[in-house]
Amino acid sequence: MAKFTENRLWESASAKIIKNSITIILLVYTAIAVVLIGNTFLSSFKSKDDLIKNTLGLPRSFTLDSFRYILLEDSFGRYFLNSIVLTVLSVALLVFLASMVAYGISKFRFRGNGVLQTYFLIGLMFPIQLGILPLFIMLTKMHLNNTLFGLILLYAANMSFDVYVFSKFFKGVPNSLSESARIDGANEFTIFIQIIMPLSKPVLFTAGLISFVQIWNDFYMPLVFLTKPSVRTLTLAVYTYMSNFLAKWNYVFAAVSMALIPIIIVFFLFSDQIVAGLTGGAVKE
Amino acid sequence: MWQLMKIKTKQNKAYIGFILPGLILYTMFMIVPIFFAIFYSFFNWNGIGPMEFIGLDNFRKLLFDPRMSRIFYNALGNNVKYLLCVWFIITPVQLFFAYVLYIKIRAHRYLQLMLFLPYVISTSIVGFFVILIFDPNIGALNKILGSIGLSSWQSAWLGDPSRSFTIFVVVVIWQCMGAGMMIFYANLKEVPQDLIDASQIDGAGELRRFFNVILPQLVPSLTTNFVLGTIFALTMFDIPFIIGGSQGGVNNSLDFVNMVFYRYAFGGSYFGETSIGFGASISVTMFVFILIILIFQTKILKKREFDS
Repeated sequence: MAKFTENRLWESASAKIIKNSITIILLVYTAIAVVLIGNTFLSSFKSKDDLIKNTLGLPRSFTLDSFRYILLEDSFGRYFLNSIVLTVLSVALLVFLASMVAYGISKFRFRGNGVLQTYFLIGLMFPIQLGILPLFIMLTKMHLNNTLFGLILLYAANMSFDVYVFSKFFKGVPNSLSESARIDGANEFTIFIQIIMPLSKPVLFTAGLISFVQIWNDFYMPLVFLTKPSVRTLTLAVYTYMSNFLAKWNYVFAAVSMALIPIIIVFFLFSDQIVAGLTGGAVKE
Repeated sequence: MWQLMKIKTKQNKAYIGFILPGLILYTMFMIVPIFFAIFYSFFNWNGIGPMEFIGLDNFRKLLFDPRMSRIFYNALGNNVKYLLCVWFIITPVQLFFAYVLYIKIRAHRYLQLMLFLPYVISTSIVGFFVILIFDPNIGALNKILGSIGLSSWQSAWLGDPSRSFTIFVVVVIWQCMGAGMMIFYANLKEVPQDLIDASQIDGAGELRRFFNVILPQLVPSLTTNFVLGTIFALTMFDIPFIIGGSQGGVNNSLDFVNMVFYRYAFGGSYFGETSIGFGASISVTMFVFILIILIFQTKILKKREFDS
């Protein structure tokens, strides 16, 4: 029996050949990403002439000229900061509000509880584009169009998935801890902040991380709501650079590198958590 | 489960304080706009002047006035074409990749990481990569073909309307495949070991085991991926907008309904008119279309669930 306890699939000799060929094919396939990212990064240090003659090869020259331009003569630092502020504040507000809602729904009994659960879920059904015109009119009237704050509110409002994931988690948290704190006279909000939040760190982190990746990379909402250069995000800045591609060929490489580095670092540090955040609500039940 | 897990909590009103801030924001920016979109779609309104109720006229114009409907149906056709790719190419590919990781092919840890990597790269950067590879003048593909003596295979790639859609699908697979793959993979890891052991003792072949034992266990992730894939397909915007341009590529071969909506709502106007109402009618029509497809799809998946 022992040999059956391990997960042994496709173990015959011919199957092994198939498996190894798949490995080789996939290694080549995944190398595309490595080459593209590596080439972009290295090429951003090439001089303009070197880049035109030698787009794909290793750099024959080394210059920080492109970075100097995008940071000093254009305001890439500003776009970078915009992306950071937008993403971090959106994720913080989203996770904070969604976890409070989920806690209120899953740990208190009151009339209309079931209706509220469903109400918070229906946001998953609607594509974001459906409400975008009314949102645009609303934000314009509130003078929040072309502000990071306006878009932060929109991202945080899109909380259905997070409310669902957090509710599922909170239902599994035993009530004994909060009960004893309640007997000691702690108020409900203190219980939430000091007892529930620390317990929920992993789930808050994974859900926050997946939102971080999605908001950092989002193209559509900034395209619609952030049209002024002063509030431009990194993804939009890269897109704008590509529109002027031929004139600023070497600057585009630097721009793309700047936008790539943070997310690649986040990916290699936290890929497991990103996957967990992505699949967290998807498979179970 | 909801009832079972809910251990008696002292009746108090604290829940209001927890729920209210989120409830207000969610209602205001998620729910109310949807009703407004449906409301606007029955009006002729340019956003500033008076609103004129015109019933279903916006929908008539969209679906039957040839000036508009030609553009709309071309775009919708591309959405549907892509949806068919989701059903018959992309989802099977995702499942295949998840499965080869599951059977632990060599280097599966590294491959899992690298197959998922493009998912975190923003679409505008992917658009840049597409230029690096497919641009007819500076792209790597034509250069490589030229240098190995296959100049006759060189092409305008995205500039060639008969090839642009294929390239688009390849790009989508490269960037977006990882998410669905990981959802399948998470589900595969939950397939009970005793089921697999049992089929091993029965001596079932590998392929039969996959289709008869493993696949029926994957209904949850299949449902998730089909639903997410369908919504993604019918709301497609970023990738064609970036690699094909805002007008939808050469001969509109990469035009999608959402891009028509965007051009109409935010990028000026068609035929000299600006109408918030008409813009709203495009997104409402598309939403109804998504709902119909999802209901149809759920029926088919449900049927399969009972069959297996």
